[in-house]
Amino acid sequence: MSLGKIFALDKVATFFNIIRQNGGIRASLYKLYRQDELKDGTLVGEDKYGNKYFENPRFFYGRNRWVEYNDKAYLNYDGSQVPAEWFGWLHYKTDLPPHKDPSRPKYKWMADFTENMSGTTGQYVPYSTTRAKVEPWVPKSKSS
Amino acid sequence: MLRQPLSRALTLSSPVRAAPLAARPYAAQAPPPPEKVEVFIDDKPVHVLPGTTILQAAALVGVEIPRFCYHERLAVAGNCRMCLVEIERSPKPAAACAMPVMKGMRVKTNSDLTKKAREGVMEFLLVNHPLDCPICDQGGECDLQDQSMAFGSDRSRFTDIHFSGKRAVEDKDVGPLIKTIMTRCIHCTRCIRFASEVAGVDDFGTTGRGSDMQVGTYVEKMFLSELSGNIIDLCPVGALTSKPYSFAARPWETRRIDSVDVLDPLGSNIVIATRTNEVLRILPRTNEEINEEWLSDKSRFACDGLKRQRLVTPMMTDSRGNLTPVEWEDAMVAAARALRDCPPGKLLAVAGDLADAESLVALKDLVNRLGSDSTCTEQYFPLDGAGIDLRSSYLCNTKIANVEDADFVLLIGTNTRFEAPLLNARIRKAFIHKDTDVALIGPKVDLTYEYIHVGDSASAVKDLATGSSSHEVMKRLEAAKRPVVILGADQLKTPEGAAILAYTQELALRLQDKLEDKKWKVLNVLQRTASQVAALDIGYQPGVGAALQAGPQVVYLLGADSGVVSRDQLPKGATVIYQGHHGDAGAAIADIVLPGAAYTEKRATYVNAEGRAQQTLVAVTPPGKAREDWKIIRALSEVVGQRLPYDTLDEVRDRLSEISPALVTYGDVQDNNYFAQARSLAQSLQKPVSGKVDVQLKKLEDFFMTDPISRASPTMAKCVQAVIKQKSSKY
Amino acid sequence: MFQVISRAARLSRTPLSRSLPAFSTTSQINGRDQLGRHEAPMIDNDVVVASPDEKQQKSVLESTISVPVKVDLTPVSGVPEEHIKPRRVRIYQPPKNAMQSGTNNIHHWEMEFDNRQRWENPLMGWTSTGDPLSNMKVAFRSPEEAIEHCEKNGWSWFLDVPKIEKPVRPKNYGLNFSWNRRTRVSTK
Repeated sequence: MSLGKIFALDKVATFFNIIRQNGGIRASLYKLYRQDELKDGTLVGEDKYGNKYFENPRFFYGRNRWVEYNDKAYLNYDGSQVPAEWFGWLHYKTDLPPHKDPSRPKYKWMADFTENMSGTTGQYVPYSTTRAKVEPWVPKSKSS
Repeated sequence: MLRQPLSRALTLSSPVRAAPLAARPYAAQAPPPPEKVEVFIDDKPVHVLPGTTILQAAALVGVEIPRFCYHERLAVAGNCRMCLVEIERSPKPAAACAMPVMKGMRVKTNSDLTKKAREGVMEFLLVNHPLDCPICDQGGECDLQDQSMAFGSDRSRFTDIHFSGKRAVEDKDVGPLIKTIMTRCIHCTRCIRFASEVAGVDDFGTTGRGSDMQVGTYVEKMFLSELSGNIIDLCPVGALTSKPYSFAARPWETRRIDSVDVLDPLGSNIVIATRTNEVLRILPRTNEEINEEWLSDKSRFACDGLKRQRLVTPMMTDSRGNLTPVEWEDAMVAAARALRDCPPGKLLAVAGDLADAESLVALKDLVNRLGSDSTCTEQYFPLDGAGIDLRSSYLCNTKIANVEDADFVLLIGTNTRFEAPLLNARIRKAFIHKDTDVALIGPKVDLTYEYIHVGDSASAVKDLATGSSSHEVMKRLEAAKRPVVILGADQLKTPEGAAILAYTQELALRLQDKLEDKKWKVLNVLQRTASQVAALDIGYQPGVGAALQAGPQVVYLLGADSGVVSRDQLPKGATVIYQGHHGDAGAAIADIVLPGAAYTEKRATYVNAEGRAQQTLVAVTPPGKAREDWKIIRALSEVVGQRLPYDTLDEVRDRLSEISPALVTYGDVQDNNYFAQARSLAQSLQKPVSGKVDVQLKKLEDFFMTDPISRASPTMAKCVQAVIKQKSSKY
Repeated sequence: MFQVISRAARLSRTPLSRSLPAFSTTSQINGRDQLGRHEAPMIDNDVVVASPDEKQQKSVLESTISVPVKVDLTPVSGVPEEHIKPRRVRIYQPPKNAMQSGTNNIHHWEMEFDNRQRWENPLMGWTSTGDPLSNMKVAFRSPEEAIEHCEKNGWSWFLDVPKIEKPVRPKNYGLNFSWNRRTRVSTK
């Protein structure tokens, strides 16, 4: 057991390493504010929406793969912003990230990923297809 | 007030009472009735007048003989043979509908021979009747269905199914209201008789004989009548059904609510059939004193207008002047602020065609509490002379039912056919059955019966009134024992209106004074709208002209949609509050719109042209955020700070009865007797007149769309189109 | 109704029920007894130990009861007050269906309540209502019976008397062919 370990100097080193990796004190504080945690890890890849995927086996299983959402999302990020192709890697269905997996199907007709729009103005609202029983009067617009 | 004391109600002896006879005293004044003869129907003795048919005699003892062609209000045809009954000592069964009774006749309506005859008739009818009851609109309320179940044979002998078999007839096109499936026709000829007797449009007839016989119009032609919908009711099978209602509902699904029609001034009684908070159709309800069992097409088919162009939410103008939906609270506060900030004399309330008595009285009370006195109706009535102080000057005093006992009818400036179709049907009934003659002063219009045309100059009224006329009508009127003079309210709008009214009063009262029958009333003023009589009773000023001159700052329109109030007549910056149920002329000029209820959606009082108060009942609930009208005004009064002292409908009606007890005696009509006073007050108004007498509704196409509900109705629009198209056709 | 009440009073055994007015719950107990006999009949000690004189005295007392002239069923009917006070009953004779000529089903009087909101159930398109009295149509032989029923239940009512009486005019087949009357028909 080294002296450093006894005095927990490696933890201090890790701490500074994390700060450095996250871009300094200001950037780290910002990240902490935004994500409530600060981790170091290797960047595995980035999807086309700007979300970055990290891995660090030092953390225990279940917390060793994570995503940092695009800065544009600011605090409005949620799990549905992870596209389908990264979902598998993030949830340990596969160890191969999409850009390293040659067997993934890619067709022209495949639709783009869309996030869950519930609670926003873009949400889906079901509507009745039957005609209303009473047609309300629509006043004529006086000025356009 | 409605809850009558038990003792009073208990004086009603039995369901069949003689009360209505008191209301029709004139029918009994014929020459002394001949001696009654005794006949026996199923061994039940009955005394009837000689000449009565067996079917009528049976009805008196509660024996209902099945029938298809026979109808109480139509001529006897005797062609369906369903009413065959056995008469003792008669070798053959006889048709009960055409057979007069004879003294001591013994009729068996339930004997084996009768039953066999009925089964035979039914068998012949069903041989050529399609078995399409499951897709037939009449299914469930079909006389043929009912009677084949009750009187038909219990098994079929029809084996000829592989032969070309059943008769088939091409369908006819008789307009946008009536759907024909002529294969179902059993040739009862009720529609033919209705068209030629009641409607007075001799368009229907039969062609061919035997199994080639067809009922139709011979050439393809629309049934150009304002009463055409009644042949749907008359048809005992599904040959004539309602086009707008086709495949909409089954009779057992609908809930029927008895109510009163408000689209013409007569207040015909109706049954509103509803399902899932939707008015599906309107049928007539028998009221012998008003509409018998007929209903005009507008009242019957305009009900789809209740679902279009509705005001479902309060609205207010936004900063750019567009009406935008708001909540009740905002609209109320805005309306209350406008009312409160208005200087007392600058507030004007205008009541429209379809306003009910409750909301009228609430609005008048509110306006009066706010210190203003100008409450008006859209229709004008001269205020000179007696004006509206005497109820008899603006009512149909003869009463609708008594018109058929008249022996001479003089119409002045009214086209009763379109202004009050069922009154016209009464006149036509008198014309046909009592040989009553009719004269008309006004433009030459088609009244469905012949009349003496006196010309269309207003001076003709003057000449008749002063007795200086040399026209034949003068002599006829003088000689008449029960004359009737009907003046159209349209005439009163003209500058000479007061004089015409004065002359008409003079003429009518001069005739009335000479009558032997002191109870007979001659003078009738036929109002155009359902709300006018109630409004005048409550004390509204007729006509908005004078009130608009005063430059009102706030105008409260209570369903005023006929366009007599427009933005051009109002001072700039005036606030218009519109309360009503349809987006029409009134809502279009409004700054604040308060959605009210239509006549099917509220329990409300309407007074018809003869002064008979009747109430509508709630059939459906008002759509969206709309509310009952008097409640809106009551709520508004609270926001304004002038709380009206009534919280329930009963309390409003108590207030109504304070104003006039006649407003809450539902179903009954009172006699009015202040003719002499009105006449003496009118003496000074008898100025020379020179104008023409004109009517607004001249042709059938003018009839269909006259109020916000019928203007919103697609069916009525189709009718207008169809009539115009038919007029251009060569037939 | 009077019969039911007096019978219920006669059959009541307990002193408690006797002390109550005529509309106590005894009629319900009695009815339940007759229907299912879910419990043994209650035997009142007073009755068992009473002397014949006392029994006779009791029966005399119980055989005559005074029924108030104005019967009010609202305390026992169980109808909530919001369906008694504001409701209004219309007593009427059902009108003849204009589409049919039969009149066999309209020779009675009916009562119905004021119509309240109905809506289409979005699931099946059936009609829904929140009004438990909306389907309560009761038929009566005469309006007096209907009025009495409404008074007993505390509903305010109004009577709609149809104007359907008309003078009988003899009809004549010959009028179709009369040469000098306007009733002569032109079309067949």
